[in-house]
Amino acid sequence: MQMSDAGRGTNENATWSPYDNNGGTCVAVAGEDYCIIAADTRMSTGYSIMTRNSSKVMKLSDKCLLASAGFQGDARTLQKMLLSRQVVYHHNHNKLMGCHAMAQLLSNTLYYKRFFPYYTFNILGGLDLEGKGAVYTYDAVGSYERTGYSCQGTGKELIMPVLDNQLKSSNPLVIPKQSGATTLSQADAIDLVKDCFATAGERDIYTGDVVEIFIIDANGVRLETQELKLD
Amino acid sequence: MGLMSYNGGGIIAMTGKNCVAIASDLRLGSQSTTLAVDFQKTFKIHDTLIVGLAGLVTDMQTLSQRFKFRHNLYRLREDRDMRVSAFANMVSSMLYEKRFGPYYCEPIIAGLEPDGTPFVMGMDLIGAQGQSEDFVVAGSNTESLFGVCESFYRNDMSPEELFETVAQCLLSGVDRDCLAGWGGIVHIITPEGTVSRTLKGRMD
Repeated sequence: MQMSDAGRGTNENATWSPYDNNGGTCVAVAGEDYCIIAADTRMSTGYSIMTRNSSKVMKLSDKCLLASAGFQGDARTLQKMLLSRQVVYHHNHNKLMGCHAMAQLLSNTLYYKRFFPYYTFNILGGLDLEGKGAVYTYDAVGSYERTGYSCQGTGKELIMPVLDNQLKSSNPLVIPKQSGATTLSQADAIDLVKDCFATAGERDIYTGDVVEIFIIDANGVRLETQELKLD
Repeated sequence: MGLMSYNGGGIIAMTGKNCVAIASDLRLGSQSTTLAVDFQKTFKIHDTLIVGLAGLVTDMQTLSQRFKFRHNLYRLREDRDMRVSAFANMVSSMLYEKRFGPYYCEPIIAGLEPDGTPFVMGMDLIGAQGQSEDFVVAGSNTESLFGVCESFYRNDMSPEELFETVAQCLLSGVDRDCLAGWGGIVHIITPEGTVSRTLKGRMD
């Protein structure tokens, strides 16, 4: 507070904000019978790195993972909130929520705070009821869409055109409706995701350290890690 | 809105093995309105030197005319074409002259040195030089252009490979920018000459 403001008791140049951007990037790709969801583990504030190994991904069930970029204070709370709703649902119905149900729940949860939002940019990845890969992408207030691939976070604009180029699917308005999931093999899709993070790690200062790559398929959830530059 | 993104555009320059490529999109707009779909943002200075200009089109036109003028004068006096690196320094000076009232343009300079070495350089609007071994980008959405170039670039590409790479990078990069697109033009500069090809892209 400036000395000249002290007497007045107010600050005309108020700079406190409830939000912060902790940086980082999330990517998800849906395949025919798998889904890949990945996020880096760097948490930053301003130009500093707070930690090199903080996860942005929460496993909500064997068929549904949530990755959240943005303000990690809100991201953690949001993930815990959804996990608790999943536990209660399981308690009441003796089964876990499917990916599509969780997708709608996340949208509603975000819109509930429409006028003081969760500063989170989310991607939900998993398998739908037929076992096909599903990716749902969100904005901060809950607008969502099921797509074949998505990325969010500080590296989003670097990676998105690369995914467009490699995974572009047919026009979504064509009838009969075609799935946006890629026909790429699991191994090829993992390589693509690794390339994307290598690119983002080069040009985005907030992306780096380690990438957690989760692969969801009929056998469950598997984790691979990728080292990125530490600079 | 920002003077640098008023008209929109995207430019990439990339080095290959004894060749360089420079490409631009073809859209000219006035914020959200598209005014032209055949508007090149690259200007040939001589056989082995092309300048691309991103930013406000009025300044792009003034600068390209001034570059032509200065190079013509140089040719009359020296009886030879200007070397790329020398031209780049001249551009830098011209921009810095207007340090406190700049031209709202970011030039990309691509060419071959007299010994055939590839040269690409980007600059900010007041002339800060950023020479690169691999590629430089400019325009209304540089993030998406950086992403594709960083992903698809390889060392020592032949002119054919370089064309394919630059074309894919430009089209994919501008597709994520509402203010750039409507196809593109790619120039491949080699010691034997320059080949220019027009690309068809998304028309939105």
